[in-house]
Amino acid sequence: MKIKINDYKGKTVVLISGDIDMYSSPDLREQLMVFIGKKTAFLSVDFTMVSYIDSSGIATFVEGLKCMKAYGGRLQFFGIPQGILEIFRFSKLDNVFEMYGTIEDAVNS
Amino acid sequence: MKDAMFITIPSHPKFLSVTRAVTSRIGELYEFAEETIEEIKLAVDEACANVIKHAYKGDTSKKIVLKYSVTRDAFTVIIEDSGITACKGMIKGRNLDDVRPGGLGVHFIKKVFDTFEFDKIKGKGNRLTLIRHMQIKI
Repeated sequence: MKIKINDYKGKTVVLISGDIDMYSSPDLREQLMVFIGKKTAFLSVDFTMVSYIDSSGIATFVEGLKCMKAYGGRLQFFGIPQGILEIFRFSKLDNVFEMYGTIEDAVNS
Repeated sequence: MKDAMFITIPSHPKFLSVTRAVTSRIGELYEFAEETIEEIKLAVDEACANVIKHAYKGDTSKKIVLKYSVTRDAFTVIIEDSGITACKGMIKGRNLDDVRPGGLGVHFIKKVFDTFEFDKIKGKGNRLTLIRHMQIKI
């Protein structure tokens, strides 16, 4: 898994590529916690290049969401591949996270 | 007729990608539907992650043995470890309506496999048997 941070129209975008699993999710958590520590208001996660996610990856995002909600921040996802979307749906989390088709939809929401 | 394969991986999370690759490849060999391959890959990965987390308590120096068998009407994966006896966390997931980190892995496993059965291995460890009943070209 690789993580890149971009700025898009003044909002922070986290681009993730590769597999998010038990091995890589601690790195993801560490990165999310840096932004949460700064009380970043908007965090948009680009899933376009994510090839796999397991329960530890989902748990990392659930934790991140809870932390961000505590200070009024928003964690958004966009570009989620169909197979990964199915995992969120099965986990009943598709209505818990803010999910958008494109980066434009996310930042304009 | 039955085909059988097995692999042994160290109990380090970095090797979970190996189990995913092997599981996917087996699914491709037997022409499983793409969606089925993804579900089985996730389930086997979650089962091995549970072994690392619960049976070995994060000890990365142990072994996990995966035995795959394919018959005309079933796909079976047996996962063996030498860790502590299976605890509730390995068997029971959280309520899906209770949104909190963790507790999803078992749901992913039970979604795809018809049989999810733990046995103690004589002496020490666990044996998890996962069976999915399906028609397979063999």
